[in-house]
Amino acid sequence: MNAPSKKPKSSFRRKFLIGTAWVGGGLAVAASVGGALAWRRVSNAQKFMLPVDHAKGESSFNAWLKIAPDSTVTVAVPRQDMGQGIYTMLAMLVAEELDADWTKVKPEQAPLNPVYGNMTALVDGAPPAMKSMVGMVSKVLGLQATGGSTSTRDGWMPMRVAAASARAMLLAVAAQKWSVPASELTIEKSIVMHKKTGKRAPFGEFAKEAAALTPPANVSLKSQSEWKLLGTSPPRTDVVEKSTGNAQFGIDVRLDGMLYAAVKHIDLVQGELQAVRWKSGAAPKGVLHEVRGSDWFAVIGASYWSMQQALKDVELVGGGATAVMLSSSRLAEVYERVLDGQDGDLSPIAKPLRRTFAEKGNTLRMIAGTDVAKRVEAKYSVPFLAHATMEPMNCTARIRDGKVDVWVGNQAPTIVQWLAASAANVSGDNVTVHTPYLGGGFGRRSDMEVVRQALACAKVTGGKPVQVIWSREEDVKHDAYRPAVTCKMSAAFDEKGGVGAWYHAIVGPSVTKAFIKRLNPMLAGDDPPDKTNCEGAAEAPYRSAFANFQVDHAQVDLPIPMGYWRSVGHSFNAFFVESFVDEIANALNKDPYLFRLELLKDEPRFAKVLNAAASAAKWNTPLSPIAGGKVGRGIAVAESFKSIVAQVVDVEVIGKQIKLRRVVSAVDCGFALDPENVKAQISSAAIFGLTAALKGKITLKESQVEQNNFNDYGLLSLAEAPEFETVIVNSGDALGGIGEVGLPPVAPALANAIFAATRKRLREMPFVM
Amino acid sequence: MAISLTVNGSPLTLNVPGEKPLLWALREDANLVGTKFGCGIAMCGACTVHVNGEATRTCVLPCSAVAGKEVTTIEGITAKGLNAVQQAWIEMQVPQCGYCQSGFIMAVTALLDKNANPSDAEVEAAITNLCRCGTYPAMRKAIRRAIELMKGGAK
Ligand code: FES
Ligand code: FES
Repeated sequence: MNAPSKKPKSSFRRKFLIGTAWVGGGLAVAASVGGALAWRRVSNAQKFMLPVDHAKGESSFNAWLKIAPDSTVTVAVPRQDMGQGIYTMLAMLVAEELDADWTKVKPEQAPLNPVYGNMTALVDGAPPAMKSMVGMVSKVLGLQATGGSTSTRDGWMPMRVAAASARAMLLAVAAQKWSVPASELTIEKSIVMHKKTGKRAPFGEFAKEAAALTPPANVSLKSQSEWKLLGTSPPRTDVVEKSTGNAQFGIDVRLDGMLYAAVKHIDLVQGELQAVRWKSGAAPKGVLHEVRGSDWFAVIGASYWSMQQALKDVELVGGGATAVMLSSSRLAEVYERVLDGQDGDLSPIAKPLRRTFAEKGNTLRMIAGTDVAKRVEAKYSVPFLAHATMEPMNCTARIRDGKVDVWVGNQAPTIVQWLAASAANVSGDNVTVHTPYLGGGFGRRSDMEVVRQALACAKVTGGKPVQVIWSREEDVKHDAYRPAVTCKMSAAFDEKGGVGAWYHAIVGPSVTKAFIKRLNPMLAGDDPPDKTNCEGAAEAPYRSAFANFQVDHAQVDLPIPMGYWRSVGHSFNAFFVESFVDEIANALNKDPYLFRLELLKDEPRFAKVLNAAASAAKWNTPLSPIAGGKVGRGIAVAESFKSIVAQVVDVEVIGKQIKLRRVVSAVDCGFALDPENVKAQISSAAIFGLTAALKGKITLKESQVEQNNFNDYGLLSLAEAPEFETVIVNSGDALGGIGEVGLPPVAPALANAIFAATRKRLREMPFVM
Repeated sequence: MAISLTVNGSPLTLNVPGEKPLLWALREDANLVGTKFGCGIAMCGACTVHVNGEATRTCVLPCSAVAGKEVTTIEGITAKGLNAVQQAWIEMQVPQCGYCQSGFIMAVTALLDKNANPSDAEVEAAITNLCRCGTYPAMRKAIRRAIELMKGGAK
């Protein structure tokens, strides 16, 4: 470790960057964030200092951390906690390098600054042709967002480097004070120690002087064998608050003079608000303001409940050019036609945009030239889905004296800031975004509709803050939905009886295009390929085993609001791929687990995870039977967000009832930095996926969503949830995501289990016996 | 309409329309925001409190129905120090987003107050709250742990 010096900061900066960005610990460090990006970010992090609380005597070391005289370490977390435990995880990265006492490490929401932009989400999400569009959005916004299971991968280098740098600065001060070499100093639970002389002091005592030093030109990060905290599961920093009712969510914000707004959208899922009619002629007493939006109407008053009551008295007339009449039944016909290659008579849907996302050999020719008896073909489909975060959409805004404050559980504060600035016509510096805990995210809280509404409401209240809350019905009927998708899969056997060709044709919209269009129609110009359409299909794990392999996509634009939903394209593509591979195994009379292994002979990482799941589940041990029903076991494996998960589901089928008995998962996310949280996220995502598999369905009738609330858009309950067992495979590969990866394989594993039990193949979600 | 009741051990008079659900009176008028709004139709349990010791969903419970009754919210439980259920919840690291958890803790507390040793089937029949984050596996462990803690004398 080079000793920090008092040279002027500008001269060392360049060296610092080059020196640090490539110094790695036990893992492949630069794998997830491009080297150049990490390089730039550490440099910026050194320029921007985390603001301090002077009353507490805090000293800021860089953008990521500050230390108080009592050794409390505050870690700036530029991501949002929606339950995935990212506050804890990112604080652990800092605590590890500092050897800080975990009980005195406090994560807090980072201020908005380009230094924290989520580079990994951008790099991961952007196919080459799309870089310009994504790049433009991110450049304009310096996107500080949470999504794509990227947070840990993104913070991995810069946050550890920031902490290691602070550590060097603390030790330099201690060394000088004690007249000992810095290299002989160690830190244990925030105490700096010099073994030879027995000197010891909490590092907070050195913080003020240390922070004034120039950061070192080089720091080395701990190697994996030196880790004390990473790889363990210390108590999460938010669990006590969340077990005592003290955690503050957006809906809990209370401000002096705050008003409440209730919102109602037009009945159509998309369209314009054309007229507002009070049934009794005028707004009821208590309504202080009425606000008309593009497709919504809000009333503002002293009580949310009374405003909700008031809205029962209003009739909204919707229509306009963007209101395109569509029903689920018609959409199914359109999808079917597109799947069959017929692009005529798709009204009201425009001609699709057909593209090939993966191609090897001559798949179509081989399939066409293979006798039907030597082919397997199947069609699958999934419906629209709502996110149904437990905390309904809400946002609180105040516009006063040229300053805007917004309190909202959100997955992209940068976008909130941008919207607030343009709505109030102020510069971004005059906007403060407060991000409390999110009562669930799953992609829902990257959509900004409620923020726009709160800003529109705050404009009419004369400086008073206003809290907009959606009812659950508004949430179910006006979400940005996971799209409905259909596909056809075909496989042809070669002379040796193996799979010679695999063809996958998918029909669905581009979620990314829909998302950007909702954000700002100006940005959704042309139609670059959307990687999420085919993720999990274009790079299906078995592709190496097939001489001919092709994945096509027909992109249809739908007049329906859509957005990112936990695991995005993987949420349906894994269902397609993993159900179909099971169908092929059955056609070949092979064990579905062993057949997969055979196909994965050149994919050792997949094979290892698959084996781990099968052995933990005791694949070959028969299930205990049940009276009056059938039992079955199914398996599936999928890679998403650079992690691999294999799952084995045991099911009981009693008449029409599907009962989940057990889900065994094996996960390789490179290295489980917090194993208990990895397990919690795997079962969380699996339950999300099982809910979709058994209950999730949003349908349209004349462009109106037919579902309303949890009575007809149900969630899995405690009684319905299976037993879970999760094994972790630490491969040492590059870090992968964890918040979404437990979802993709679970629905196909269940479908495969149901098939094993009943010989009935379910190709449509949600599953109905 | 003035409605008098006891909330978390202290007398409280609410000046609200009688049909206003207790949930909104707690959140808007009593500034007790630990009790959450999730569905408004008694489906999710996020709004669960104790009314005279019974777990009750307050999003559909008019204030007029609680006049003279004793209401305990998550804040009231917490004020007396962590109970066995909360201790078990923390030990088993149950919450994820956390939004549903007050309701679950109130529902489980009421169950264990009545039946100190429920079977798994009794737990599943009684606890019908919903958690979108799917924290059920950890909850199962925490409920078993809370039962143990209560046997050991925790409140
Ligand atoms: S809010 Fe009362 S049960 Fe859902
Ligand atoms: S912890 Fe998020 S809804 Fe239960």
